[in-house]
Amino acid sequence: MERAEEELHIARAKRDPNAFAPLYELHFAAIFRFIHRRAGDRELSADLTQQTFLKAMLALPRYEPKGYPFKAFLFRVALNELKMHWRKRKEVVIDMSYAEVRGLTEEMGLPEGDDGLRKLEVALGRLDEDRARLIELRYMDGMSFAELGQVLGIAEDAAKMRTHRVLATLRTYLSPRA
Amino acid sequence: MNRRYRISPEGRQPEPTDAEIARYRDPKRLVYNYHKATRALHRKPLYKDPKAFIALLIIVLITWLITEVASDRHVSPASQDQLHEQVD
Repeated sequence: MERAEEELHIARAKRDPNAFAPLYELHFAAIFRFIHRRAGDRELSADLTQQTFLKAMLALPRYEPKGYPFKAFLFRVALNELKMHWRKRKEVVIDMSYAEVRGLTEEMGLPEGDDGLRKLEVALGRLDEDRARLIELRYMDGMSFAELGQVLGIAEDAAKMRTHRVLATLRTYLSPRA
Repeated sequence: MNRRYRISPEGRQPEPTDAEIARYRDPKRLVYNYHKATRALHRKPLYKDPKAFIALLIIVLITWLITEVASDRHVSPASQDQLHEQVD
């Protein structure tokens, strides 16, 4: 679906909630996968995805595209839903595969093998929520800096700079002196 | 809330396929929940509905009248003695 067509659907859905269906059909799988990567459970992911679309529908009258794709707005709502879901928990465990962290281990110059990965697990766990979110979006979801900026509502350059700062923090956590 | 990361060869349970994800899609439920949520948001409070307001007012007035009548009829024992003394 092209941007102009998508904006037409958004304008229609603002007037008539039943016209939201094409947007729902188009983005459902992407949002489901995005949530599933964090929640890990299918049933829970389905509930949170449904809740994400409901919140998006309710917020639609106030939504302005501002040149960003609608999907970026949905990702933002989904992150908020996950945060709401996790707020009463003491600890959240996020599973990542070797493939997902390969880019990160290369960037950090970590040696291959379990030892390096265990260190990375600990270092990631020391990051605050905003910084951890940035790393997840970049390496777990494989987003470009432009996409990252769209989801976080910042410019591409700012997203790049923030990511480099977080990587620098991670390096200090991984250094032998830390 | 603490975040903990667990890095393993396969990561989490395998990602569902498109067909599996499609089974969770339910646009009808979404629209139903939307209407339910917006109805709850825009529900008029009772006192803002003219009919409900008049009904509430009548109930309050009747209750007040009943309590007034009941308190008039109820004469305390002390005041009853005073009445007897006046009659004597």
